Amino acid sequence: VADHSRSWLASVLLALYPREFRARCGPDFIAAHHACLVREAARLGRAGVLYAVLRTTIDSIWSAAVLHVSERRRERIAATHNVPHAQKGSVMDSLWQDIRYAARGMRRAPGFTAVVVSTLAIAIGANTAMFAILNAVLLRPLPFTDADRLVMVYEELPGAIAFPLGFSPPDFVGFERRTTSLQSIAAFRNKDFELSGVDQPERITAAAVSGTLFETLGVTPAIGQAFTREDDKSRRPVAVLSDGLWRRKFGGDPGVIGRAVILDRTPYTIVGVMPRGFTFPNRGPHLNNIPAELYVPIAFTAGERVAFGSMYNNSVVGRLRSGITVDQAQAEVKATVSAQAAELYPAYLAALAKDLTASVVPLRDEIVGRSRAALRVLFAAVACVLLIACADIANLMLTRGASREREIAVRAALGAGRARLIQLTLVESLILAVSGGVIGLLLSRWISMAVVRFAPANLPRLNEISMDVRVLAFAAGASLVTALLCGVLPALEISRRDAGDALKDGGRTGTPGRRQRRTFGGLVVAQFALAVVLLVCGGLLIRSFARLSAVEPGFRADHVLTFAVSLPGSAYRDGAAVRAFYGRLMEAADRLPGVSASGASTDLPLSVRERRAFSIETPPTASRGVPRSVAHDWVMGRYFEALGIELKRGRVIGPPDGPDGEPVIVVNETMARRFWPGEDPIGQRIAWGTDTNHGRWMRIVGIVSDVKQGPLSTAVEPQTYSAWLQVADQQLADNVASAFRGMKISLRTPGEPTALASAVRGTIQSIDPSLPITAMQTMEQVVETSIAPQRFNTVLLGSFATVALLLAALGIAGVLSTSVSRRTQELGVRMALGAQRNDLLLMVVRQGMTLVVLGLAIGLVGSLFLARWMSSLLFGIEPRDPLTFAGVAAVLAAVAFVACYIPARRTTRIDPIVALRCE
Amino acid sequence: MRTIMPKLLETAVPLEPHWFQILLALADHDLHGLGIMNEVLERTGGRMRLWPGMLYRNLAKLTDLGLAVEVDAPKDAERGGGRPRYYRITAAGRRACAAEAERLAAFVDAARQKRVLKT
Repeated sequence: VADHSRSWLASVLLALYPREFRARCGPDFIAAHHACLVREAARLGRAGVLYAVLRTTIDSIWSAAVLHVSERRRERIAATHNVPHAQKGSVMDSLWQDIRYAARGMRRAPGFTAVVVSTLAIAIGANTAMFAILNAVLLRPLPFTDADRLVMVYEELPGAIAFPLGFSPPDFVGFERRTTSLQSIAAFRNKDFELSGVDQPERITAAAVSGTLFETLGVTPAIGQAFTREDDKSRRPVAVLSDGLWRRKFGGDPGVIGRAVILDRTPYTIVGVMPRGFTFPNRGPHLNNIPAELYVPIAFTAGERVAFGSMYNNSVVGRLRSGITVDQAQAEVKATVSAQAAELYPAYLAALAKDLTASVVPLRDEIVGRSRAALRVLFAAVACVLLIACADIANLMLTRGASREREIAVRAALGAGRARLIQLTLVESLILAVSGGVIGLLLSRWISMAVVRFAPANLPRLNEISMDVRVLAFAAGASLVTALLCGVLPALEISRRDAGDALKDGGRTGTPGRRQRRTFGGLVVAQFALAVVLLVCGGLLIRSFARLSAVEPGFRADHVLTFAVSLPGSAYRDGAAVRAFYGRLMEAADRLPGVSASGASTDLPLSVRERRAFSIETPPTASRGVPRSVAHDWVMGRYFEALGIELKRGRVIGPPDGPDGEPVIVVNETMARRFWPGEDPIGQRIAWGTDTNHGRWMRIVGIVSDVKQGPLSTAVEPQTYSAWLQVADQQLADNVASAFRGMKISLRTPGEPTALASAVRGTIQSIDPSLPITAMQTMEQVVETSIAPQRFNTVLLGSFATVALLLAALGIAGVLSTSVSRRTQELGVRMALGAQRNDLLLMVVRQGMTLVVLGLAIGLVGSLFLARWMSSLLFGIEPRDPLTFAGVAAVLAAVAFVACYIPARRTTRIDPIVALRCE
Repeated sequence: MRTIMPKLLETAVPLEPHWFQILLALADHDLHGLGIMNEVLERTGGRMRLWPGMLYRNLAKLTDLGLAVEVDAPKDAERGGGRPRYYRITAAGRRACAAEAERLAAFVDAARQKRVLKT
């Protein structure tokens, strides 16, 4: 530590002491301070310096306080003995005085203090809570080592499929060997398991991951070890538990390593437990995005390793070599994947291989990218609320300042300088803001917990929300800024006032000056302008949410209960067993009392995962060049009837479409329109695959109405449905992809759908007592969940806008109310001179509404520009939606009118005689 | 005040250890603050560290109570840019210090009688 900085610290500490002490002992104090640092440094080295700095600081704070107090005491004794004590104090002395003075003032006005502190507490609390969320989701690095170097790699088929795909197993295996820009890569995909052997059997979400995953992420298990590349390669049944599952199922027993866990009725050896807070896969990416409770090796089979052209469902995460940028990696990965496809893909897939390319996205963007816009808008909104609250409080303080005009004038007349008066006001607002900030910080924990509880499941990283240094610094910063915003205007206003005028007034409460009125007015206008912007944003979201809710999903969501089952491979070894189970289940479901139609499908509407390429036997010329990709569902029973999907033409899949019948397929209207424009697709044949390499031809037998395959905000894709019963036994038995083992059952009932739940459980139990049921919910709940993110944005922003409106209304009501009471004399005189009560009322209302209209105009113009930022959050309406703007203007004008009318009514109660008597 | 307080103090032993040590340091020669700090540190074998705030606060208190006074620095004490302030023990200070020393000595005697101390 340089001598220079030492003396700097000593000077700062010295500033804490009373003036007299500084004058007398200043240089000695600095010398002694220096000696202490040198002494401790010699004794303990660097730690000694730190120790000495801390000790001398604490010592000085305490000593300075003691000396200040004893000085005060002496002053008081001197004062009682009539000894003049006209010494000018130092900044520290006066600050100390001001703090005590402000505290006394706050104690004397408990109502004012309570209102201001609680308003600020709520506003700062809400801001801190939103910041904590923003911090956890967007700002904090991902909890992986050197997370900036982690990327997601996707394969893409731009001609055929509109969104990025995962890697197929052979592509992954080859790419891992060839890539030069990534130092290690790992594949993973979500996988459900039936977990048994501990308590009740249940289905859990797991992830099948490469042996390289943990080293790629740079995370090691808290207990035991991760499985290795070798475990993965030799397909050993080993598992790593998440911290959550370990605590929930094994009571956090550290002796769990080496024990077995039964997954799909096969024992796996537990080798490790991940640390608390480790989440993977993360929410956010569009595929394989459900945090796993357990990890098993992905263990590609020999068959999968040569499954070219299929199984593009393995997400790939990689770590960039140091010094390689994302752009460089992008170029290398693209070239490598294309070259590899050209080299390895069999000749019949040449067309596909030529089309195959790849993309690299930073992992962070992939996880939080989709939430960024919404969180930023919400944070901006809550910051606006704080600004409006600040304006309210500045107005309150101005009013209070005005009522203390005489007191302040006396102080000024007695020699208090302008700086001193500003300091006093700022100290006051600082105390208020800091009190509000401290309470707000406590509140923010609850607010963020409430927000999280209500947040949609796709918002990533919510488990990472905590109060770290950054959040604390934000709360402190917000309090300071608030103090400045609340205090500066009143401070300037107060110090500007002419002391002589106030004293000459002789204590009469005069009419506020023109400049003061302008300050009040400016704040009100600013408040309303901000409130308008928030209301417009909230209004736009509400309108687009209404649009979204009104979207026709293509099925009837009412009166349908759904649930999922999945058959473990070890208990249902062959296709016949799988077929037999679902045969019995569908039969039993149809017989359940209260069920009018039952069906099953591999996916439910709004979350159809499967996409397939297909070939048309006799392609119509009109649709040549249209990418041949469809969403696909395998259905069984009376699926269309159960979900209320309308048959447009032809027939739906039914009893004749068994394993031995002709393969049939049903298409949606979009598919019919897109590939057979102006023609009838019924009777045409299509097949999975490409024109050069395809499977069996399937005949189109019917056209059904369009059903959304993704969230309601997305467009309908072409879709096909085929008969689950026509799937070959060998495919049904496939236990790796398990594409046909898990089905979603839908039951339509004339009554309350949830009433079927216990009957369903009983039925499943009677067929397979140890088979768990998952995701039991009504179809209405499925729809609700799909619009949860929009609901979240709408409700939050809507409530911020409402609070903003109320605060702005309170602001103008307060200003007018003060104005009326301070103008009592003036109004009394007017009345005595013949003004009608209604004229006066109108005058006051007009005074208020002028400000409101001005704020409204500024706000609307501002919104025209600002609402553009939200366009990514809107659905079905323009950011400049005229109806929203008009609605906001109307609502705001109405509320503002009420806020103006209430204080204005007081003019009618003015008694001119009483008012004039005050003169 | 200054005339009453020392009387009270002389009887109001025990004296604060810091005060006792500071007065003891001043007993045979005038000293500046840093000198007091170093002497006390040395005599107590490094156990009593007087941090600057503590030192000057107590010196201020002692001067207030009339147990010590500030004096002009001796001519030969010119040091650095400034001339440090020197402190001198007053008669009242000397009495207070002696009273405390006697009080402590009495304990030492008692310890000897009870053979807690060998010498």
